[in-house]
Amino acid sequence: MFRSLRAATKLLTRSTSTTPSPYPFSNVAILPPPPETAATPSLRKGKGIMQYIHKTLPCPERQALIMRLFSRRHPERLLPGSVVAVTLAHAPTSFSGVLLSVRRRGPDTSFVLRNIVHRTGVEMQFFVNSPHVKEIRVIQRAGGGGGKEGRRMRRAKLFYLRDSPEKMSEISAGVRG
Amino acid sequence: MIGLKGTLNVIDNSGALLVECVNVLKQKVNNGWGGVGDEIVCVVKRARPVSPAAQASSTAVKVRKGDVRRAVIVRTKKAVRRPDGRMIRFDDNAAVLLNNKRDMLGTRIGGVVSADLRMKGWGKIVSIAPKVI
Repeated sequence: MFRSLRAATKLLTRSTSTTPSPYPFSNVAILPPPPETAATPSLRKGKGIMQYIHKTLPCPERQALIMRLFSRRHPERLLPGSVVAVTLAHAPTSFSGVLLSVRRRGPDTSFVLRNIVHRTGVEMQFFVNSPHVKEIRVIQRAGGGGGKEGRRMRRAKLFYLRDSPEKMSEISAGVRG
Repeated sequence: MIGLKGTLNVIDNSGALLVECVNVLKQKVNNGWGGVGDEIVCVVKRARPVSPAAQASSTAVKVRKGDVRRAVIVRTKKAVRRPDGRMIRFDDNAAVLLNNKRDMLGTRIGGVVSADLRMKGWGKIVSIAPKVI
């Protein structure tokens, strides 16, 4: 009995001295790293909670991606009409298409890609914060204001492309060429 | 969301071209809406003419206009949600004809099918489809 007790205490001290387990009830539980900006007194009172959540909920790499591609004023943001390829963590592993719309809702941000596969139009809506989304790659940027990239689309949501396949092929023609 | 009177394109080589849904076979409910992977009872509205060889043979499956057959929905215009929140929507409604034992009538599929079929147990259709999205 004493031997087992000693072994148990030795195990406890060994585990606590080398790798302090943040979750005391299991040593296989994975906890996300704490956010860089710790909770301030005004946050604890409830002021600006949603803005804090929008900044800290996605992991930092994903947060940087959202700030670069899906903000409203960033020069490298995704404009509707660009051709985008999304790589997923599972099958179907990749989907590419014309960006029809971006729905900006903070952590709930999503975008719709449209493509024509085997003579059938397919639209897929991806959520940016989903852990299944591995990579978002821009194949062809929509124009910013004339010049080499062409004039930008005059609409934020390009749902009219559903009824005009010729406009879709106009956009995709630039991809091959 | 395919219900009574909903029309679907047939994308296999059974001979039918357009079918109209008459009943959605879901457990516990006779009516209701069918989505991708649901079995439906349908009426063939338009079919390809039966070839003379098939007409002569007695074992070949002959699908004519007016037949009442079963089918499984493989594409819907209404968006379908995947488990991680993605939505997928096709430009038309499509189905593949079946017999009463849930086997396919045709031998080939010509077109995209939705990957939700795999989750509902139609692995055979998914394996012969040219593209699964």
